[in-house]
Amino acid sequence: MCALALKDIRKTYGDASAVDDVSIDFPQGQLTALLGPSGCGKTTLLRMIAGLEVPTAGTITLGGRDITRLPAHRRKFGMVFQSFALFPHLSVRENIGYALTIAGTSKAEVVARADKLLDLVQLQGFGDRRIGQLSGGQRQRVAIARALAQEPEVFLLDEPMSALDAKLREEMQVELRLLQQRLGITTIVVTHDQREAMTMADRIIVMSKGRVEQSGSPQEIYQWPATGFVAGFIGRANFMEGLADNGNIRVGDVLLALAEPANFINGASVQLACRPEAIRLGAADTGNMVKGTITFIRDLGPVRDFHLDTPLGKLVVEQGADQGRDVRLGETVALTLPPEALRIYPRSTALPPMEMAAE
Amino acid sequence: MTVAHDLAFGPTGPTRATELPTGVSAGRVGRAVQGVLWAVVLAFCLVPLILVVVISFGHKVEGAGWEWALTLENYQRFIVGANWPAESTSLYLGQLYWSMRYAVVASLLAVVTALPFTYLMTRQSRRAQAVWLVFLLATLSLSEVFIVMGWDIILSNNSGLPMLFAASGLTDWLKETGWFDVLRDWGLANPRNVKFKPSEVATVLTLSYLVWPYAVILLYPALSRLDPSLAEAARTMGARPWTVARTVILPSVRLPLIGTTLLLFVFLLGAYVAITVFADPSQHTTAVSVYEHVRGSTLNAPFGAAQSVILLITATAFLVIGQRLTRKSPGAQ
Repeated sequence: MCALALKDIRKTYGDASAVDDVSIDFPQGQLTALLGPSGCGKTTLLRMIAGLEVPTAGTITLGGRDITRLPAHRRKFGMVFQSFALFPHLSVRENIGYALTIAGTSKAEVVARADKLLDLVQLQGFGDRRIGQLSGGQRQRVAIARALAQEPEVFLLDEPMSALDAKLREEMQVELRLLQQRLGITTIVVTHDQREAMTMADRIIVMSKGRVEQSGSPQEIYQWPATGFVAGFIGRANFMEGLADNGNIRVGDVLLALAEPANFINGASVQLACRPEAIRLGAADTGNMVKGTITFIRDLGPVRDFHLDTPLGKLVVEQGADQGRDVRLGETVALTLPPEALRIYPRSTALPPMEMAAE
Repeated sequence: MTVAHDLAFGPTGPTRATELPTGVSAGRVGRAVQGVLWAVVLAFCLVPLILVVVISFGHKVEGAGWEWALTLENYQRFIVGANWPAESTSLYLGQLYWSMRYAVVASLLAVVTALPFTYLMTRQSRRAQAVWLVFLLATLSLSEVFIVMGWDIILSNNSGLPMLFAASGLTDWLKETGWFDVLRDWGLANPRNVKFKPSEVATVLTLSYLVWPYAVILLYPALSRLDPSLAEAARTMGARPWTVARTVILPSVRLPLIGTTLLLFVFLLGAYVAITVFADPSQHTTAVSVYEHVRGSTLNAPFGAAQSVILLITATAFLVIGQRLTRKSPGAQ
């Protein structure tokens, strides 16, 4: 069942277009992550869902009802802001009870509900504290509890982890995901962090320049990036330029075989992407074998990155810590690119934001 | 290792040695600057203030100047009149009452109207905000006399708004609808036409007009620092625009709001030109009376000084009360 649906949503500011013809269905009870680099229109999209911005064109429906022009205070979608936007003049309990208080709920009921929500976010006994006395992580929990207080039909989070430090961020991602699954609430999270999206989301929607690049489960997106942009933005990838050659791809002088013949006319310019962990050091019976010289070894503990100069260009290979122990800097080794690990995209697609994008 | 150690730390010795005298001289210069600052404060603020306080205990010689003394007659005159206990008058207390009344109403009016304006201003683009601020700062360069003169012309009975009212038929319309009698009750009309001078309304409006740019400039920093997502968060929780203003924006700027009102209030206690031009003589203020006694026909400096001291005490009392109010506030950061 579909809770919330966007159809042909467009938002322009003067000549600049922030969101361009976006149509997304948000299934009931699922967590969807809107993922993309800054300026890709993901926050604008979330704000239109919340009712804080009005789309230039298109419709937003909730359970079949058109809510495109319904103001934010009548949608009452709980929203967690990047800055948390907690009211400094109110206590923790008053913050959480805000929605109920202004709706005229009795004081006793507000207190009871706020305390129940404080339990839910594991902040028992913090009700009388002031916002200024809380740490970043506690503030985030209060912001989440406050957004959930009105039992919203849709739960929105705008970069909820950006104000937390790296370690706490990972913990809160897991915790938020568990909470969302327990409540079964339709949730939309805006993030630029692919690890955050992959930790929490049932479904990831990758956006770039106001458009949807790809939507799918985290694994689908990681394994089968639909475009070169997605391959570069989610995880890391080695990119190579090549030409279609009878179902194979020619990169420089090397002919690479694919799992399925490429659907390009001969001579078409294509882009190849291959995950660093999909390439194996050493020769194999099947697969595309090339030789390369080790230029750098990066030992990260659980895994090791090998940087190589090859006829295909510079490649990065990621191996488990127990593999390739005998390989030395400057040595020439064989490496195998399995045909099923190669992804090809037409050359026309935009180049990834950065080569070998960091995690 | 020790050699390297010595080499590495060697240069610090001489450096420290040369630092010592400069440090001492810096301390001397600092003390000298501080001394000069204190001298300036003493000469230009404290000494005149003490002089006023001392003079306020002086004695006025009938038909001549005044002489040093230690008498409470000036304060007695202010509170119960010169001929007490034979007869008593509340003339001067009444003037103090009008001082406070004008200052309270005008400062509140200025803050209440400047708040929504400033809030909307902070939601504009950076450029628009800069233009507004420059404009408002520029209006501060107009002197009180100049502004009062302008309003004097606008409100004068023969050439200003009342003339326009009569010529445009608005006066007749007011008479037909019965509003004219209401205006007469408020002291804003004579039997023939509306009149705005002298009136309390004109006085208060001019006073709040005088301080309005200050109100905007004082409120601007607090409102521009206000996180716009606070209001948005309230909206997503079902708050209508008015509820957002009442429950989020007003409480967030409570302290600057009180501070601004107090500052404008104290500023307006000393207003002189606008009062003499727009207020009825029976509703003149302590500030006007001070001027009349010090510079006017009576030449009674001790009594003028006593009134100044009382005005100063009033202002201080309000500032202290304001301080208490803001300190007790639960929302204080």
